[in-house]
Amino acid sequence: MAEFQLVIIGAGLSGLAAGIRSARFGQKTLIVEQHTLPGGLNSYYRRQGFLLETGLHAMTNFAPRSEKHAPLNRLFRQLKLSRKSFITREQFGSEIIFPDRSLKFSNDLELLCTEIASSFPACIDSFQALVQEVERYDPFVEASWKSTRQFLQERLSDPLLIDMLLLPLMVYGNAEEHDMDLGQFAIMFRALFLEGFFRPEHTIRELLSMLTSQYEKFEGALRFKAPVTKILRAGGRVAGIRLANGEEITADAVLSTIGIPGTARISGWPLDQKKYIGRMSFMETITMVPHASLDSPRCSQTILFYNHNNVLSYRRPQAPIDASWGVICFPDNFEGLPIDTDVPLQVRITNAANYELWKQAGSSQYRQLKEEAGRKSAEAAGKIIGNYRQDVVYHDSFTPMTIERYTSKLEGAVYGSPIKIKSGATPWENLFIAGTDQGYLGIVGAMLSGVTIVNQHLLG
Amino acid sequence: MTRDEIKDVILEIIEDIDEDAEFDGLDADKPLRDQLDLDSMDFLDIVMELRKRYQLQIPEEEYPELATLNSCVNYLEPKLKEA
Repeated sequence: MAEFQLVIIGAGLSGLAAGIRSARFGQKTLIVEQHTLPGGLNSYYRRQGFLLETGLHAMTNFAPRSEKHAPLNRLFRQLKLSRKSFITREQFGSEIIFPDRSLKFSNDLELLCTEIASSFPACIDSFQALVQEVERYDPFVEASWKSTRQFLQERLSDPLLIDMLLLPLMVYGNAEEHDMDLGQFAIMFRALFLEGFFRPEHTIRELLSMLTSQYEKFEGALRFKAPVTKILRAGGRVAGIRLANGEEITADAVLSTIGIPGTARISGWPLDQKKYIGRMSFMETITMVPHASLDSPRCSQTILFYNHNNVLSYRRPQAPIDASWGVICFPDNFEGLPIDTDVPLQVRITNAANYELWKQAGSSQYRQLKEEAGRKSAEAAGKIIGNYRQDVVYHDSFTPMTIERYTSKLEGAVYGSPIKIKSGATPWENLFIAGTDQGYLGIVGAMLSGVTIVNQHLLG
Repeated sequence: MTRDEIKDVILEIIEDIDEDAEFDGLDADKPLRDQLDLDSMDFLDIVMELRKRYQLQIPEEEYPELATLNSCVNYLEPKLKEA
């Protein structure tokens, strides 16, 4: 008999959720995590007394408790967590800013409709029809790839409106360049525009600790600093895992949350890994700025999606970063969070980055590159929210190299593979994948991915 | 278990799955799913919970037997006689 019924590789959000589902019904479950902290892409660290989150701008998929079928609420029931005691803080409001037009949106779809009616009056009826179509669309059935751009061109006549709508949907979840699969579009459209942004009451740390305690309450085992070097096979099946220290652990089934190429590498899964490594990676800059230095009215919004051009270039840039478009997020600007004007405000900026160029840079050049990119990013953001660079009290940034090192995302591709495997299946009947490369997106999505794969394949 | 005990077990399981479940006015002959606004994922949890508690294996093709409170009791009564 194997030591564990299920071994899960990775204690990110999908791995933890899968673990809770499996352990909840008494299966002997082990999660192994390479790092000292859980969370994967969505973790945290401390510097100079600040607790900083690595990934979280906002959670998507906001739903009030009463909407029982909404993804957020279903997720809580599946994990047997109390939605009643989970306090959500909704966004103030966000804005998509292009040179000639801007569109505000919030967790009330009405605002976006009003904005479109006033900026793109010819498109409002077709936009409303589009909303209904997305609501009816089932993105979770297996379907072949369909072009979102073509879908939108057939429905909305204005290319500027299309690019404006695509910016937030792509930058928060699209692993492909330029275009995206229609199923992914529908997931993102619902998550952002129909449901909306919120934050948990505290930080990602408390959310992760809620998940790990729930998992441990169901007697699930969790090991940190336990990188997996090999998925063991025997007789056409997967038999367990080998850790970096040489230890072997047997399992009836293995669930990998480290992505398709990473899983292929340690399992001997014969596939063209290159095709499954996304080209979109990002540089993320976190700065702490005194409230007084951020006096533009835009600084009291939650998330700004900006583009200094009228056409969206969602692709790996030719330069280390492309600051001409990006995201400016104020994680303190959510309803009901305490406002302390003595504590500096956090500003997070995300820009597309070129993995190759960061990788090529030697250690001395890397630092210089990082400084230059940080300056460019702040200058570009300054055009939207006013210049704040001279007043920054704390500054840190992550590049594609940081992401690759601390998460299992090869080439720092935060949204994983451009080709998803919705069924979670691999060539072995007892090895599955969950998480980003299974196709669900965002924090709620990652957790639902873990839940779904366990429900479909692993509750036997 | 008696029929009443089985009924209590089912309601207790549902309450455990859904902290907002409201049983006032529940019609034992009408689908639980519609009345309590449950989805297929919640139904899976009822099945899994029965398995965990009573080692009951309910095959997927028999899930429809769990549609209403009364049909649950009818279906489970012979299986839980000794429980």
